[in-house]
This record gives sequence, structure tokens and C-alpha cells, in this order.
Amino acid sequence: MAKETTPIGSIQVSPQAIATIAFQAAMRSYGVVGMASKNVVAGLTNVLVKDPTHGIDVHYDGQQIDIDIYIIIEYGTRIKTVANSVANTVRYQVEKALGLPINEINVHVQGLRISSLD
Amino acid sequence: MSEGQSSPQSREILDMNNNQPIDGMVFKTLANAGLTWLRTNQQIVNALNVFPVPDGDTGTNMVLTMQAAYDEIKNTLYKNLGRIIHDLAHGALMGARGNSGVILSQLWRGFARSLGDKDILDGISFSNAMAEARDTAYKGVVRPVEGTILTVAKDMASAAENALQVTNDPYEMLIYIVNEAEASVERTPELLDVLKEAGVVDAGGKGLHYIFEGMLRYIQGQPLDTALISVQPLAAMQMDNAMESIEPGQDFEVVIDFRPEVHFDLQSYYDNLDQMGTSIQVGEGDGIYRMHIHVPTDKRYDPIDYTMSLGTITKVHIENLLAQMNWMGTGRPDQKLSLAPIEPGQIAVVIVAPGPGIARVFASLGAAAIIEGGQTMNPSTQEIVASFENLPTDKVIILPNNKNIFMAAKAASEVTVKQVAVIPSRTIPQGLSAMLRLVPDGNFEDVVNDMESSLDDVETGEITTATRSVEIDGVAVEQGEIIVLHNDKLILSAATLEEACLSFFKIAKAEDFELITLFYGKDVSKSLVNKITDLIRSNYPDHEVEVQDGGQPHYQFIISLE
Repeated sequence: MAKETTPIGSIQVSPQAIATIAFQAAMRSYGVVGMASKNVVAGLTNVLVKDPTHGIDVHYDGQQIDIDIYIIIEYGTRIKTVANSVANTVRYQVEKALGLPINEINVHVQGLRISSLD
Repeated sequence: MSEGQSSPQSREILDMNNNQPIDGMVFKTLANAGLTWLRTNQQIVNALNVFPVPDGDTGTNMVLTMQAAYDEIKNTLYKNLGRIIHDLAHGALMGARGNSGVILSQLWRGFARSLGDKDILDGISFSNAMAEARDTAYKGVVRPVEGTILTVAKDMASAAENALQVTNDPYEMLIYIVNEAEASVERTPELLDVLKEAGVVDAGGKGLHYIFEGMLRYIQGQPLDTALISVQPLAAMQMDNAMESIEPGQDFEVVIDFRPEVHFDLQSYYDNLDQMGTSIQVGEGDGIYRMHIHVPTDKRYDPIDYTMSLGTITKVHIENLLAQMNWMGTGRPDQKLSLAPIEPGQIAVVIVAPGPGIARVFASLGAAAIIEGGQTMNPSTQEIVASFENLPTDKVIILPNNKNIFMAAKAASEVTVKQVAVIPSRTIPQGLSAMLRLVPDGNFEDVVNDMESSLDDVETGEITTATRSVEIDGVAVEQGEIIVLHNDKLILSAATLEEACLSFFKIAKAEDFELITLFYGKDVSKSLVNKITDLIRSNYPDHEVEVQDGGQPHYQFIISLE
């Protein structure tokens, strides 16, 4: 839990909540056509449960927040640039919503989607 | 940069009345016109930035993408339209920078696919290509955000389709498309709240509009190298990139601040300046105007004399662009930046520095290579790799000194066979703090760990001027106010630099530290620096205060507390 203490008590934000914000931001990023699972087992569970944080891993060690994002990118876009802007967008949106700095954002491109042949 | 931009000349106007068919060669000229017009208006697009920190670079990203696209076809001589556009799209894809650049490359990709190997662009194929461009661009995102370049592309495609009812002439159709693009851009704040709050239109959409408007202006024989008569906010006039468009013969840059007399006719002012030089920009703020122009050597005083006749000049700045360009190159003859010699097996440190003064400080601490870059000009992976590839060692540490450069630095570390570590330094003071831990002959892992752990030893303050009114992190900022970032986070806004500095010291608990280092930016006068320094010394008499000429753009002061 990301935690912030104020004079009248503390605020706790669950990794799940952070993941939801990151998920929304990633889905709106240009070039991202889907979120991917880190592994097959997680992929199977996700078929059964509609998960609003699919493809996002949030790690909080009591000090720093790290986010891992697993995405599928549209074939024919410049992958590096898209990944870069996903990282920037997610960082900006999460930091804006949370008011806490994010330490690291790792973007994993898990696949490409070919929507039409050139 | 300095090679003559073969900007299309109006005397080679396409004869649209004779319906000269648009084949590959004609389209190539049009693409160049679009690029030229976009570049002319680059700073206007950059200024349409929602965030208060001066890092608006949508315009720059789009220009670089479009430039890469045009470079791909520049030297080809195909008459086949499809082939030229296919190459253009390929160039755009390879050179895509930033979000808007990627979308632009997708638009060209769809455009190219629809045209196949057609020889000539007619109304129907133009309309189909616009539709395919829209579809391709929309396919690239799960949840398209409306009120962006995507919406503008969609509206342009609809305009083309509607125009098909009345004409099959691609020239005429272009007029409809450009008109709709302009209207669509104006509507973007209605669709996207963040734009409305910031009081701007979408930057990417505006850039797309400029590309097509440039084609139309060229066809109509209008000039492409002078921005339209418009007064922009002073903050929009960032001159750094103006150098890119320097033409041979226009060797001097003249910037004049003046207060015009009551009857000031902007139109005739532009017309008269147009006789003297190029790259004319006029900005306004609080009744003070700032004019920017590039002129040949023998005319360097003409704009001053002319402006003097219209009002009171408060400041004049003249710069020799050629000399400046030489300096920007790798040579830097007058700076004598002495980088640390590296012996095989030693650890080399590569740093990214935004200004010559900061670069010098890093060099004096033993940096082996320095890359120019910072908030607005992020170096590419290629530039970073090139900086250390030739060093005679395989142990390299990179200090990006800006979080926007992390990705490129990381990517650089992955494409080389050398052992490369990226220290996540987000600010200049953090970079310097890490630099002090360098032991060239030490164990690589130990040095890297040592450097990383040193990042938190220092508090960073960055002071700049807000380019836009906005509220972020609960801090309300008015355009033109001074804002302070503490460790990369916006903490306060202030009316004056003095107030900003003192408030920062209070919030960062300067009393707990011993050493204050002040790096002043390239636009800060010596007298102001002295004033601020005196202020700090009198408020913190027990601290050691060090003042350095950082030479960084945008940020008046970068402050480190140790």
C-alpha cells in the first residue's frame, strides 16, 4: 500500500487502485492495442475474470513504487517511441492522481498485432 | 541544418488552373511545402502545451518526423505517385518521434496503402486515401481520445468525402480539407477538457493542419517561410530551434524588445520586415513587443533603425548565427572543453548536459563524454551510443540528468556490447552528486552502487517561468509567473525570482544543509545573479554559497543543496 500521512490521519492506496489508473492511461496511449499477460497462467485466469488491471504489475516495497506494463503494440508503429510514450503517459497520470513519485516504469512489449497487410 | 533548405519558391507555382496532374514528383514538392510550413510554425505548435514547464515539443517532434519522411524521398526521381508516398511513409515510420510523430507516420502509412501503385492523384483516390489514413491511425489505439490529431484526421477525411460530391479535382478538394482541418482544430477544446482548461487547441492536430495548409499555400503561391500575421504570447517565442531554419546569407539573428506608439500597424510592420530578412516572429506581452528576424550581414542594423521609428526600443540582441552554429557543432573551438582522458579498463562517465557551463563543470569532475540535451531537446539513443562507442574502455556509466532521457539511455545500454550502467539522475545536482563518487579505476559495480546511493544526498531546486496558466499538484500557476520545482516536482509559484528562491529554501529546509550551489541560465543577467546571490548570503550567512554560469536554457536557476 502506498501510504501518505496527513495531520488528520493517513491515506492508503492499494496497488490495485494504482494499477487501475495505469491501465486506463496505457489503454489510451497511442499505439497500444491491447494488454498482455506476464505468463500463461495469469492469461488463463484473465480469460475467466474481466480484470481492470490486466497487464499491469505494481510493486511497492514501502519506499518506492515500481510499475511493470505488459502491452501489445500495433504492427507498423515505431515500437521504441510508442513504449516511450506509454511510460511517460502512465507516469504522468499516476503521479498526478497519486501525488507520489513513481520510481520505475518498465514497459514490456509482449506482442504485435497486425491489423492489415501492407 | 545549414544546407540550403530548398524551400519551394513561389515562382514555380503549380498551375492549378491547368490541372497539372499530381504525380510523384509533384507530390514530393507538396510534401516539402508541408514540411516547410510546419517548420515555420513549429514554435507556435510547441507553445500549445498543457503543462506549465517549458517542454512543449509536439511541434519539434512532428517536424523531425516529417523531415525524416521527406529525407527518404528527397533524392528520388520516381514519377510514380504510389512509390513516392510509400517511401515517404517508410521515412515517417523510421523517424517517428513522440506520440504525435507516431500518429503522423500511421496517417502516411494508410495514405500510402490506399494509393497502391497509382500514378496520379485524382479526387476519388485522394478521398479514399484520406479515409484509409484515418482508419489506419484509429486502429493504432484501443481507446482513441477525441479532441486530438485523430479527430482532426477524421474530420479531414469526411471533408474529402463530402467534397467529392462537388468536385473530382484534387486541388479543389485540398481547399475543403484544409478549411475543415482548421475548423476541426478549433473544436478540439470542446472535446477534450484538459485543452479547455489550459485554453489551447490540440498541438498535434494543429501540426497536421499546418502540413496540409503548407501544401495549399504552395499551390496558391503564398510564402512558406514567414509565419502568418499573428501575435503570440512571448513565452511561445523560444528561439532555440529557430537556428534550424537558417538560410545561407541570413547570418545574423536580431531580437528587439520595444514598446510601440499608439498607432501600431502590425500588418505593415510585417511587410516592411519581410523586405529585410526571414524567420520573422513577433510576440507580445504586457504592451511590450518582441521581434525576431534573421537578416544578412549588411542589413543587421536595418530592423533596429526601422523599429526605432515606430516606438521605444528597450532591448536589442544581435547574434552571429554562423558562429553560433559552429559552436553548437562538435568542435566548440572557443570553449576548450577538456574531457577526461580515458585509459583502457577505466570507467568512463557519459553525461547529458543542457548548457555549456554545466557541461564545463561536469568535464572538470572527469566526464569522458558530454551530450548536449535536456528538457526540450532529448538526445536520441543513437547520439548516446555514438558518444561512448569510441571510448577506449568497455565500462561506461551514463548520467541522463533528466527523467525524459532515461529511456533513450537505457536503450543505448542495451544495443552495445560494452558494459553500461544508467544512473537514474533526474536533475543536474543529482548528476553532480553522483559524479563526485567516480573512482575511474574502481570496481564497476561498487562505483555504480555508490553513485546511485548518492542521488538522495542532494536537494534540487529548479526555477523557471510558467508558459501557461494551469493547476497541477494543487499549485495554481498563472502564465508568466515564476515556478519552482523541488526534486522535479512543482511546489510553488511566485511573482518574483527573489520570492521564489527564498520560498524554495524554506520548503527544502536549507538550514539543514551546508552548501548552496546556484547555476544560472543563459537568459539571466549578471546583475540579477548578483542580486539573488546577495539575498541568499544575507539570509543564510552560515552557508557556503557557490555561483556557476550554467548556461542552461529555460531554467533561470538550478539550485543544489548539500
